Amino acid sequence: MARAKLDEVTKIFTEDDGSEVVAVDDVTLDIDDGEFLVLVGPSGCGKSTTLRMVAGLETITDGEIRLDGTVINDVPAKDRDIAMVFQSYALYPHMSVRGNMSFGLEESTNLGDDEIAKRVEESAGMMGIGDLLDRKPSDLSGGQQQRVALGRAIVRDPAVFLMDEPLSNLDAKLRAQMRTELQRLQNELDVTTIYVTHDQTEAMTMGDRIAILDDGELQQVGTPLECYHRPKNLFVAGFIGDPPMNFLQVTNEDGTLIDHSFEYPLPPQVASAVEGTDSLVLGVRPEDIELEPDQSRADDHTISATIDVVEPMGDENVVYLRLADGATIARPDLAEQDAAEGTHVNDAAVEGSDDAKEGIAGESRSTIIATIGGMQHFDDGQDISIRIPPDAIHVFDADSTEALHNRTLQDADAVPGI
Amino acid sequence: MTTAPPQETDSTSSDGIRALPLRTAGYYLLLLGLVVFYLLPMETGFMTSIKTAVGVRESLPFLLPGTDLSFQIPFVEFDVDTMLEQTTDEKWRDAYDTLSRGMVNSMLFTIPSTILCAIFGSMAAYGLTLVKWRGQVFVLALFIAGIFIPYQAVIIPLTELYGFIDLQYRLGAIWALPFLSEERHPTILELIITHTAYGIPICTVLFRAQYQTMSWEMIEAARLDGAGLWRIYRRIVLPLSIPMFSVVFIFQFTQIWNEFLFSVTLIRSSVDEAASVTLILGQLGQAIEGTDFPLRMAGAFVAAAPTIVVYILFTDKFAEGVRV
Repeated sequence: MARAKLDEVTKIFTEDDGSEVVAVDDVTLDIDDGEFLVLVGPSGCGKSTTLRMVAGLETITDGEIRLDGTVINDVPAKDRDIAMVFQSYALYPHMSVRGNMSFGLEESTNLGDDEIAKRVEESAGMMGIGDLLDRKPSDLSGGQQQRVALGRAIVRDPAVFLMDEPLSNLDAKLRAQMRTELQRLQNELDVTTIYVTHDQTEAMTMGDRIAILDDGELQQVGTPLECYHRPKNLFVAGFIGDPPMNFLQVTNEDGTLIDHSFEYPLPPQVASAVEGTDSLVLGVRPEDIELEPDQSRADDHTISATIDVVEPMGDENVVYLRLADGATIARPDLAEQDAAEGTHVNDAAVEGSDDAKEGIAGESRSTIIATIGGMQHFDDGQDISIRIPPDAIHVFDADSTEALHNRTLQDADAVPGI
Repeated sequence: MTTAPPQETDSTSSDGIRALPLRTAGYYLLLLGLVVFYLLPMETGFMTSIKTAVGVRESLPFLLPGTDLSFQIPFVEFDVDTMLEQTTDEKWRDAYDTLSRGMVNSMLFTIPSTILCAIFGSMAAYGLTLVKWRGQVFVLALFIAGIFIPYQAVIIPLTELYGFIDLQYRLGAIWALPFLSEERHPTILELIITHTAYGIPICTVLFRAQYQTMSWEMIEAARLDGAGLWRIYRRIVLPLSIPMFSVVFIFQFTQIWNEFLFSVTLIRSSVDEAASVTLILGQLGQAIEGTDFPLRMAGAFVAAAPTIVVYILFTDKFAEGVRV
């Protein structure tokens, strides 16, 4: 058990042609003893590289990584007292499950055979693989191999657990099951854990805290709910939450958000927060949008829209809406787009406004998503109004992508971690 | 579009009697032809090797001793007494007696060089594939270049080199040990060194092909489990390359056992104490009065026997290895 600290850690890869790629840029993280930290971001954001630097599998270009105050930059991987679970499980195919699990203890400790056997059996029992100990990995199912990989890590009783997308090779049902099991296990063992995933659901549900990375840069570190309700910038707002937050490209005129098709007066408190910034992005979560079938009841905070598609999920309906002509949707497309640069957001907005040229891609971009109760019924093609409650809006600076205002939360004190 | 109905196979004829499909019959005919094509030389060799001098003269090479073709039915003249008269195992005894000295010598350098080639090749491949360091590509290029150096190009430098080093003189104390002789073992050692050096590049490339398919994450997992370079090789890489070792054993053993050019240049003469089996085989049955074909054939079988034994010993693992 240990406290891990990353201090301004940078990783620069030098390509064969001599060009340099910054994979991890000045990342500072402080992971408490026993904490479960999830590193999340789109592929290529540097999360795995960060993990591999902690493991000692990549050299650190700049900065320091400390374990319990000791700098481990130059400590070889084999001496770091760290266990890692790989996406591919990386089991030793020629060894039995027992061999796989005892290998680490044989190599890194001076324990006697009896002690090793005892520990292996204990851990195997904990993982529910006690009866598989004499099988080879090739005789096991994917889920069982996954358990062996976890067992191999916990039997070491390391200072830190590193997990690199350990659940991504499992089917959806097993993944959900392992998610809870992993959390229970981590609570029980109370070992500092760094968990890498690209799946925001895993990040939200598993982490004590989550650290969101994009393009090698740390975007935000906080509890899952903090990142959900108080995103620091457009990227975090768009990445966390499924379906993602809706973004509208607007201009600010004296406390009113203006678009071609609507005007949205801001409450005074929000207006003062965004004062002086002209180009803004209005963000609202799908579950906060209210659908108003009776268009005559439109008010200041409604926008007219057409229902495109309704996806019934049973407990809720996911409604895809198209705004009246001219409305501009800003959707920083997460995988492709660099949300850190405001210009990109603007580009998307310009493209999104031109429905005719864009075709399907453009349509998806100019779509507003709302989630409503499963019992409410709407027809495809129906014209309605959508209400965006003023207390649920997020406002971002379109150029810097920073959040200028986040939603108000009435019961913020009642929910821990916000 | 319409799809044609599945074609009725010609395996059943119209009257319902099951006939051998023409296609299958063709395959078997082709196979039979190939079997005859490949085995006929062996059969001829064996038949020749068990014949007496008279037998060789009086029967066709591929027929049993005492057998001859004729123009009357049944086109074969065969007589048991003549056959027994013209059959002998003397040539096999002769061949074995003459070659056994060479077989021992060949074993003495083939087995160590094969093992050394495989071990060094595997280690080099490990270092060049699963360990990262600067200048790797350059070293690999040297190994690959090593495969393409023709034997002919190194013969003279090689004799010069061993003339200069003079193992017989330099390691004089060793040859005085029991079971070793000054005339024989320095040359054997030279052959071991030469064959090992010459075999390492190709072995390295073979092992490298397998190691490149090994999971990099598995090696990293072993590193995090606390294993160092050597321990990873010993406990992970080596056990996983056993099938490839079989491939390399069979391949290198056959190569070195059958090799002739180094034997000729380093041993020089078939009467040398250290003469290899190939060297003696070359002289076997050659005399002023003519070529003793039965003896030469028997000698060829005796000399080839160890390679066949090696094939049989490693077949299972070999099959696994070539699948990699």
